[in-house]
Amino acid sequence: MKANTSFLATLNPSCKLFAHLFVMFLLMNITNMKGTFFIWILAVLIGIFLGGWRITYFLKRLFPYFGFFVLIFWMMAAFGEGQETIWQWAWFHITKESLNHGLTIALRMLAFVTYGLLFTSTTDLTLFIMSLIHQCKLSPKWAYGLLAGLRFIPLFQSELNQMKTAHKVRGYKEKNGWKAFKRYALPLFTHGIRKSERIAIAMEARGFTGTKNRTYYRTTKIGSRDWAYLLSLVSVVIGMTFL
Amino acid sequence: MDMFLGCKDLSVRFYNRSEKILNNITLSIHKGEKVLILGPSGSGKSTLISTLAGIIPEYMEAEVTGQVFLRENVGVMFQDPDSQFCMLHVDEEIAFSLENRSIPRSEMDEIISYLMNQVGLKIDKKTSIETLSGGMKQRLALACLLALEPEVLFFDEPTAQLDPAGRKEIFELLHNLSQKTNQTMVFVEHVLDGCIEWMDRVIMINEGGRVIGDGKPVDILRHFNNEMKKAGIWRPKLFPYKWSEVIENPSHPLSIKLSKELETKCQVKTREYGNENPIIYTEDLEIGYGKKSIVKDINLVIGKGEWISIVGENGSGKSTLLKSLIGLEPINKGKIYIQGKDLKKWSDRELFERAGFVFQNPELQFLADTVFEEIAFGGRQRNWPKESIHAKTKKLLQEFGLEAYQNEHPLTLSLGQKRRLSVATMLLFDQVLLLLDEPTFGQDEKTASELIKKLKERQEQGTTIIMVTHDMDLVDHYSDQVLLLNKGKVVYQGTPYGLFSDEALLWETKIIPPLHYQLMHARRERVLV
Repeated sequence: MKANTSFLATLNPSCKLFAHLFVMFLLMNITNMKGTFFIWILAVLIGIFLGGWRITYFLKRLFPYFGFFVLIFWMMAAFGEGQETIWQWAWFHITKESLNHGLTIALRMLAFVTYGLLFTSTTDLTLFIMSLIHQCKLSPKWAYGLLAGLRFIPLFQSELNQMKTAHKVRGYKEKNGWKAFKRYALPLFTHGIRKSERIAIAMEARGFTGTKNRTYYRTTKIGSRDWAYLLSLVSVVIGMTFL
Repeated sequence: MDMFLGCKDLSVRFYNRSEKILNNITLSIHKGEKVLILGPSGSGKSTLISTLAGIIPEYMEAEVTGQVFLRENVGVMFQDPDSQFCMLHVDEEIAFSLENRSIPRSEMDEIISYLMNQVGLKIDKKTSIETLSGGMKQRLALACLLALEPEVLFFDEPTAQLDPAGRKEIFELLHNLSQKTNQTMVFVEHVLDGCIEWMDRVIMINEGGRVIGDGKPVDILRHFNNEMKKAGIWRPKLFPYKWSEVIENPSHPLSIKLSKELETKCQVKTREYGNENPIIYTEDLEIGYGKKSIVKDINLVIGKGEWISIVGENGSGKSTLLKSLIGLEPINKGKIYIQGKDLKKWSDRELFERAGFVFQNPELQFLADTVFEEIAFGGRQRNWPKESIHAKTKKLLQEFGLEAYQNEHPLTLSLGQKRRLSVATMLLFDQVLLLLDEPTFGQDEKTASELIKKLKERQEQGTTIIMVTHDMDLVDHYSDQVLLLNKGKVVYQGTPYGLFSDEALLWETKIIPPLHYQLMHARRERVLV
């Protein structure tokens, strides 16, 4: 998660997250295909005009989900129930209702992903955690612990790759996914636990107490533009649900 | 008693052990003193500084008896550069120390740039920590500690995870800092070159966690030479002698020793490389990821039974090349032939019966629950008959001195044993080719030399050894051929003697040759002057 230079990146992360979660919540309750479609299009437009997305970036990131889109749509449309039959062959049975239903569900999925991407592509991870401390009153103990933990992810990846190569050299073949998982997971976890203990000691040795009795290098505030974004997004989306 | 820092009758025992790790230690460290603590692994050196720094028993539980005289503001630097950071960017990390001390935000920017300047971090403050080299990470760690305005700095093997260039960088930085600020510093190290020269005092601890020596570096070195050798400490190559004396006086004992070494090196005849049937050769090989090329135009011919070293700075592509040679990394261009057959045509199973690969971190390479099964693994995968697996495994256990541990879990072994096991597992099929990625990295002298001895024995039986290393003494002693990578090219390929006598090339590629070559260069210069 890294910020870019767009308008969205200047917003308070917690506020932005809340706005997007609210839209997602609304999406779950809308059964209307047109409304869902417009809410998705809105996300795309926000991405392009306020989120600094280039069309190619957007297509690249969402491309895998278009596959899902087709799949979900087909599953819902071809096996759904309904009265007005459009097309029927063997066990496929497409009706007007099922078509509508399939499109709604598939668009809902796509809209979810797009709002999520809108958040992750414009938010700096450290600022996000800091805003959890300042706006959501998360205890520094958890927030800084979370940040330290996030540093582990790339580390885990490189360790996993090394283990896989080592297994390859020794002629180990993954026959059973679960067994392979257990084989890799145990050393990764023991390594992880040992490392996290060391980090915890290093943090405490540098005077970290986990209490709120500290100053902050990066602070986040909620300003008028945050309210403007939150309120206009929410009101536009609510308006769309009545379309 | 008014003591700056120290302890009286200190004993420490961890709750999961029955024996004390430190036994009746009495120490007093003065303000401004630079102290080095030495001892074999497991002697409680780290425990001692953790106790003096107040980490034990405050953050790490242990039974502590006796008196400890602590300072309130201290900083501790640990050996693993990666596990002392909790933020993502350089400035945030330094600020974390300041935040903990409740320094007002308005003062932070100035302090951060001052500290970055002081530790020589000349980079953008928004740089992501994971992109830094090991040496840079330790510089950052030092900045974070200085941000605490400590009265005492503790260092727990600060250079153990660094290559020689990084080690030199850090020791020079610390030396400068100590001269500027007269900071009190307490070290634990097992490499003495670079730090022993400017220590005020050395304390020697034995296996039982008792102090056996305490005095000036020169005296301790003289009296405890044997203990240090046994403890696996990398003793200084020059200290207590002075370099100028060694150069100027040809009858100086060290000068005589080095000259002799140099003579034997001169006499070694250059061997013809790539005998009739090279075990591995490459044609215009280019390695890299996708479009990005790391090293171009690699044309190697490696004969059976040769010992090849691959050297170069961090990030020069040594490890990638090593992995590419047996298909563990994809290649961009060119061809690799192993025993005359194109690498692409080898099946994994057949290939790895002929070639073994020892990884830098042995722990991530183990895959069985006992040492015995670890070695037997390949045979079991191939459904060998029980008797032959047993016989073969026993032989390897014996060869690598692991018989007594055959039923233990590989992860419970000591560092040196893990290393030996990682090599043993790669020899079940009597592989003719053995590739090793920095096999002696971060190890003490004893375990490193034990391992090299085993490799030498194997080489004499005809195994070809290709290894990536930073240890130039190792390169000089054992390799038939050296491959030097620099800025995306192979800049040298030939005997170690040829490499180490080429002063211009060494200077350009920042390689520090073994001492006897340095003497050679210094003498040449004197003749010129």
